[in-house]
Amino acid sequence: MRAGFLLAILFLAGGYSYLAFSELPYLSSAGRLGPGFFPRIIGASLVVLCVYSLYADARAARPGEARSPYWRTAVVVALLTAAFVVLLEVLGGLASMIVFMAAALALLNRGRHLQNALLALLLPVSLYFLFVVWLNAALPRGMIPLPF
Amino acid sequence: MDVFANLLLGLSVAVTPLNLAWLFIGVMIGMIVGIIPGFGPAAALAILLPVTFGMEPTGAVIMLAAIYYGSQYGGTITSILLNTPGESSSVASTFDGYPLAQQGRAGPALVMQAVASFVGGTLGVILITVLAAPFTLLTRSFGPPEFFLLVMMGLLTLIVMVGGNWRYGVISALIGFALGTVGVDLETGQSRFTFGSAEMIGGIDFIPIAIGLFGLGELYHAFYTGLHVTGTGGIVQYQKERRFWPELRDYVETRYALLRGSLLGFCIGVIPGAGATVASLMSYTLEKSVSKTPEKFGKGAMAGLVGPEAANNAASSGAMVPLLTLGIPGSASTAVLLAAFVLWGLTPGPLLMAQKPEFAWGLIASMYLGNVALLALNVFAIPLFVQMVKLPYRILAPAVILVCTIGTYSVNGSIIETALMLAAGVFGFFMKLHGFSPAALVLALVLGPLAEQSLRQSLTISRGSLMIFVERPMSLWIIGVAVAVLLAGVALRRRKQLI
Repeated sequence: MRAGFLLAILFLAGGYSYLAFSELPYLSSAGRLGPGFFPRIIGASLVVLCVYSLYADARAARPGEARSPYWRTAVVVALLTAAFVVLLEVLGGLASMIVFMAAALALLNRGRHLQNALLALLLPVSLYFLFVVWLNAALPRGMIPLPF
Repeated sequence: MDVFANLLLGLSVAVTPLNLAWLFIGVMIGMIVGIIPGFGPAAALAILLPVTFGMEPTGAVIMLAAIYYGSQYGGTITSILLNTPGESSSVASTFDGYPLAQQGRAGPALVMQAVASFVGGTLGVILITVLAAPFTLLTRSFGPPEFFLLVMMGLLTLIVMVGGNWRYGVISALIGFALGTVGVDLETGQSRFTFGSAEMIGGIDFIPIAIGLFGLGELYHAFYTGLHVTGTGGIVQYQKERRFWPELRDYVETRYALLRGSLLGFCIGVIPGAGATVASLMSYTLEKSVSKTPEKFGKGAMAGLVGPEAANNAASSGAMVPLLTLGIPGSASTAVLLAAFVLWGLTPGPLLMAQKPEFAWGLIASMYLGNVALLALNVFAIPLFVQMVKLPYRILAPAVILVCTIGTYSVNGSIIETALMLAAGVFGFFMKLHGFSPAALVLALVLGPLAEQSLRQSLTISRGSLMIFVERPMSLWIIGVAVAVLLAGVALRRRKQLI
């Protein structure tokens, strides 16, 4: 699994290096160090170090760590967060917060319906007033804006 | 004399009712953040940064700084009562803090850690007060080579001292540097890695990355390890003890450990990248080596608790020196503080103290008051914080995700930045899972533009010669300190394996 993560970084580092070497000049038109100077060093170093780490890890041949029995929960919570981000501009700040809290608590705090309902309602409303009313911050209004 | 005048100016700023209120809120939040395992001050600072946008800059920075040093106090409560450090800097406090609690001395251990934290924190602030101005004068002679070397020293120290595998630490820092190159090149005006997106021209904002890595990434990892099911374990029931207060011999036996820990912690805190965790572990090693009864360490030696506690609090004060005088943060938490400074148009560095004395000295003066408030809170409000340890993670985590997401969106009203935070969260989870260093990534992201600019300027001045980095006396000093710190780091890593 660690090798997969390193390969993903290597892939991104390869793309970064390609752009740094192909599109960004090493020297500027004035003959000074240009916009490609630093990215080339960083990209090349990343690629070399990732390849070396893959080699060193493979040589060490450490036994892979067992997957945690709770990995599904972590995945579902991450997916819920992604859904929350998507819903922000569809339902608006307040409604999407309520939907996210209700869904997350239904998954994590099972069986406590009244507690979950209260938390799913009160916390988003408090945050809405903190950000929108007190801090005057911009929260997404959604397709059907609230009247207040 | 100037010092007292500056301090009085600072106190006049810090003791306004509003700033006192922000200070108190900051230390309370810091304590809570310190207590919650798996949720560090860097995440809390990044998440709360948007909340402070409506505040006056001095009050906001006073509150954020209080969260930072307050978390050093809170992290030890769980170290003593649960054998679970709330912060990485409280790991050393578990070695003797938990055995003391098991022996029925949790009360004295909690009070002594509060006293040690207070002494370390306050001595650290006294040293800032005395040394900040001379340090500022010294740093005015720094040029591009010195700044480049300082950035490199900070990152290397962080990687060698704190990180696990050094290769993963360097890869993390390089990713941070790479992200820091996105946007317009300031010298030539050419766009880099923007893919034609107008939102990317200004570069990758630091806040969504920090919130994602330290907020969401930590939470996902906590779910992965089952913290929402297992909870934080059993708490030692200190309330039932008859003897809550320490005995006179506790103070007498640990008086030198207090001083040693404070001075060592401050010196380590000043070095960019070293930080409170390194300070506390070094202090533990030092106390064990100078003790007449080293065999008691690990079995409930009060000096083994007091030394590291004084050290980590003094280090968090010391870390303010390079931040205020050079604009160079030494850790992820101080990197967020730097971002806060910049957001309010304040430029930390040699000119900050001269141009904005009311801000700089207001912050320093507030740290004295903050440490007093934290001492009182630690001694008298421990039952309240113990209740917070019992707050179920399955309820706390969704609430934190909510604040992370809404907080990120509210900064610029950008859904792209919110999506970036989510991506950083998933990436942060894998980084933590595989032993990479999110702190090195964030520090490199913040310092990347400075590193690039100072490297290019240095090489332009020297016409491409790298000798510029070893020809100047100040550069040589920095290299000397870096080598010493790195050697100490290697020694500490070996020692950590032995402890």
